[in-house]
Amino acid sequence: MDTCIEKIRAIGADLLAEGTVEKVIGFANGSIPMATRPVALTSEKDMDKLVFNSVCGLNLANYVSKNSLSKKEGKIAVVAKGCDARNLVTHIVENQISRDQIYIIGVPCTGMVDKRKIAALFEDEITGFEEDNDTLTVSSPSKTETVKKSDVLRHNCRVCTHRNPPVYDVMAGEPVEEQTLDQPYEDVDQIAAMDPDARWAYFEKLTENCIRCYACRNACPLCYCPTCFVDESGPQWVGKGQNETDVTTFHFLRAFHCAGRCTDCGACVEACPMGINVRDFTRKLNKDALELFGWEAGLDLDKRPPLDVYSPNDPNDFIK
Amino acid sequence: MMGNLLEQMGVDRDRIHFSWISSAEATKFVDVVKEISDKVRALGPNKKFVKDYIK
Amino acid sequence: MTEKNIKIVSFLCNWCSYGAADLAGVSRMEYPADIRVIRIPCSGRMSPKFILSALREGADAVWVSG
Repeated sequence: MDTCIEKIRAIGADLLAEGTVEKVIGFANGSIPMATRPVALTSEKDMDKLVFNSVCGLNLANYVSKNSLSKKEGKIAVVAKGCDARNLVTHIVENQISRDQIYIIGVPCTGMVDKRKIAALFEDEITGFEEDNDTLTVSSPSKTETVKKSDVLRHNCRVCTHRNPPVYDVMAGEPVEEQTLDQPYEDVDQIAAMDPDARWAYFEKLTENCIRCYACRNACPLCYCPTCFVDESGPQWVGKGQNETDVTTFHFLRAFHCAGRCTDCGACVEACPMGINVRDFTRKLNKDALELFGWEAGLDLDKRPPLDVYSPNDPNDFIK
Repeated sequence: MMGNLLEQMGVDRDRIHFSWISSAEATKFVDVVKEISDKVRALGPNKKFVKDYIK
Repeated sequence: MTEKNIKIVSFLCNWCSYGAADLAGVSRMEYPADIRVIRIPCSGRMSPKFILSALREGADAVWVSG
């Protein structure tokens, strides 16, 4: 993975020098170890700020739509993992950006690590993070641990079947081998196997710590509505407090707005300060989209999303 | 799909109904109302997704 | 809330099911009085928010009909 970064920097520098793009959106190191932040760079001198490692968990497609709402801006290059590229495709399909406004620097991805899993190994604060291919060396004032990356992968990366960007202008590395899974939706099936009251209790428990910060919404590239339903006040669809019903309503509707669009990039879970696995909601919708419509979001620029178009073959058993 | 997600969350499937009735099909309308009403009566009052002040 | 007093919030399309309900009414057909009809200008006006809102405000079931 680290080998890609030189290539990314070189591509970025070339694009800026040629004037092909106005800026390059990528990852830079955060202010604490084991964290990255998104940056938009406009000068090729800044290229060495770019990084790409196993903690680039956010989705950069998010910053494109919010950046380019005014169509005056020039072309933007985006460093895109498989899921980021799929979300860029979703943006294009949904007419948020046009294909010629962006330049996709595709990066083959071997997954991102779950920071909470690593943090759980330590009692004190993590002060150092190094990675060398599959080996991660994490240190804190009290000890240093070496872990295998594959042991601490995020769940969505473990079940990811699109590690290489489906659409790109240039690839920054050799494509990695895609995973094939026997049971990609095991987690969804486990919940589905419970009885209704247990499922209800499961989701109540899941969201009980929610502080309604909307970090999941803000991290999500799909959430670009100018006024979100949670901010609407006439009528007010959902209360703003931490009442159980309001919290579940918020999570339900947030997830449902992603139906047939979610690429399971995991940015929502990454952003959640309370460690809620909000993907439990969206995963079910992804599974249904795949089973009912044979659809996975963001793979094709020419296909319309299933909930966007009518087809005579649409499942209609639920209608009397 | 919405019905499925509600079901995944533990809301009974029989609480959400969709149907398609032409304006000339008064008999179908009556049949569907009866059917839905019977199903929901069998389930009893809803306790999920309800605001506290209603409970 | 007794079992006899259930509320089914029904979203009926102006042109289809609302017409059917009207016809059922003028034809003096009998049907259970559990439904509370909300007329929507078209089934396309329907939104998931409406369903959740109805449940939140105490509906026992929701019926959407085009």
